[in-house]
Amino acid sequence: MSDATHRSIEPVVLRVLVAAFTIFIIGYILVPILVTLVMSFNNAAMIRFPIANWSARWYADFFASGQWTDALKNSILIALGTAVISTTAGVLCAWAFQRFHIPFRDMWYILIMMPLFMPGVVLGLGVAIAFGGLSIGGYAFYGSRELVMVAHSLWAMPLVFMLMEATFKTIDYRIVEASHDLGGGPVRTFFEVVLPLVSTGIVSSMLFAFVISLNEFVMALFLTDRDTQTLPVLMWLSLRSAGTPRLAVASVILALTVFACLTIIMLWYVRQLRKVSR
Amino acid sequence: MPVTAVNSALELKNVVRRFGSVVAVNDVSLTVGKGEFVTLLGPSGSGKTSTLRLIGGFEELDGGSIRLNGERIDHLPAYQRDTATIFQSGALFPHKTVAENVAYGLRMRKVAKDEMAKRIAQSLDTVRLTGLENRYPAQLSGGQKQRVALARSLAVRPAILLFDEPLSALDLSLRLQLRAEIKRLHDELKFSAIYVTHDQGEAMAMSSRVAVMNAGSIEQIDTPETVFHSPSSEFVYTFIGESCCLPVRVTTSAIQDKNGEEVGLVLAHRPGEGDCRIYVRPSRLRLVGDATSLPNRLRARIHFIEFLGDVYRYHLKSGALELAADHAGAIGRNVGDTIDIGWRNEDMRIFR
Repeated sequence: MSDATHRSIEPVVLRVLVAAFTIFIIGYILVPILVTLVMSFNNAAMIRFPIANWSARWYADFFASGQWTDALKNSILIALGTAVISTTAGVLCAWAFQRFHIPFRDMWYILIMMPLFMPGVVLGLGVAIAFGGLSIGGYAFYGSRELVMVAHSLWAMPLVFMLMEATFKTIDYRIVEASHDLGGGPVRTFFEVVLPLVSTGIVSSMLFAFVISLNEFVMALFLTDRDTQTLPVLMWLSLRSAGTPRLAVASVILALTVFACLTIIMLWYVRQLRKVSR
Repeated sequence: MPVTAVNSALELKNVVRRFGSVVAVNDVSLTVGKGEFVTLLGPSGSGKTSTLRLIGGFEELDGGSIRLNGERIDHLPAYQRDTATIFQSGALFPHKTVAENVAYGLRMRKVAKDEMAKRIAQSLDTVRLTGLENRYPAQLSGGQKQRVALARSLAVRPAILLFDEPLSALDLSLRLQLRAEIKRLHDELKFSAIYVTHDQGEAMAMSSRVAVMNAGSIEQIDTPETVFHSPSSEFVYTFIGESCCLPVRVTTSAIQDKNGEEVGLVLAHRPGEGDCRIYVRPSRLRLVGDATSLPNRLRARIHFIEFLGDVYRYHLKSGALELAADHAGAIGRNVGDTIDIGWRNEDMRIFR
């Protein structure tokens, strides 16, 4: 009899636990985002609860402010640059790892992955000290967007490398050989056969790199000046002076961009799955 | 069919390939005449695939030379060799349509546009895939994929076609069908080819000549008929066709099994004294009727009987000797019965 009760109770308890856990996780993830979303439509001059009047006033204010739109533009330009630099470097590096025999392979692997686990403060400070005084042809690197792109790529490149190394391993190498066999040299084979085969990985890599750069704050704080500061940096600076709902608007814009990137990754992935199993 | 250097498509001389301490290809010399279809037949690990990959340029030689139409190619990378491989998996480009797959090699060779269209249509027609130009590989069956692979290789008109077990991933009926088709294509187009397989049926059916490989070397290379009927070594005999092995010891007075017991074996020509292995093929053994009138005979007990469809297979035992004999139809004897079996001199081989 006790056996029978066990059997009937156990799945119920399990199901309740799973449901509670799922709700908790979703709530935990969504609450901060939802709160900022709600706050961004507040008509008041300060972030406060409860909301008296709903309005899109702070969105208009955000896009009317040259300082804030410049910061958004900086953020997006730097994120685009980071995506291009880190994806190019990461993809080529991962392909070299896959294709060639490399001496001290594991050591190189650890070296490439290391920046990913370094605190932003350390990297930011390091880049600032190393390149702070550098200028080429009168163009000072300190405070430039390019320097931030390079710094952000320190984080994004290892991630791309890791992702692409795993992706390249899934290629049926006979297909690459077939290309050589039919007269395709290494460069044409790479662009005509290898890259299309890993397109999902490359799109994911670019978007991940873009998101990492967009969200990054500490390195950007070290390396930007008034003209090049990114959205997170400006948010931090203005938070100290005034907590207006403009901050919530900026948060929503960042969150939505990240959400859009993840959606694209998902859609692309599903599309590729359909193609293969069609 | 002797081949002189003048009309040879491919010439391998003392080719060696090592993987660490393992010698995968050991001093292989082989000539393929223009329009000849040579099969490399052997068990896995015999070096047949390694040899093919050396010719295609996917492995580097450790010794020897490879000539294609008289010119050395062993220093060239795969993409500069005028060879075309049909891979076991097909290795089609999954992101390209059938037509784009076939066009790939032509584009790499900078074939003119209208010529390219003509050749794509022609090759797809040759392998009977006209109408599937715009399909993607994922939309094709296994047999269709291999046809595309074949069309893709034929389109570039290579000096030699290299087949790397192209049918081994397909099921039996499809395999037989494609095998016949490759044979038909070869008769029609007269391309030079090397075909790697572990399936002796394929080797026999398609080849001008068969090279039987073992442990990195070619044991025998000859026409399918000669290899089948006059195997040059024990390995070739046992690898081609089914065979039973009777290990015996011949003394001055008797023929014994491995336990030293005398067996009721009558041989027309007694081998010299010592240990030897007598081989017979199940299909060549006579079970009833004229068995006792044949020059070589053995009395054996029926151990068990298998029905194989075309024939009944009688598994027989005599002392420590075991053998199998096929007979079309049941012979009306049961397990445990002792029967006489006989065979002709030419159906037996003795190795020591």
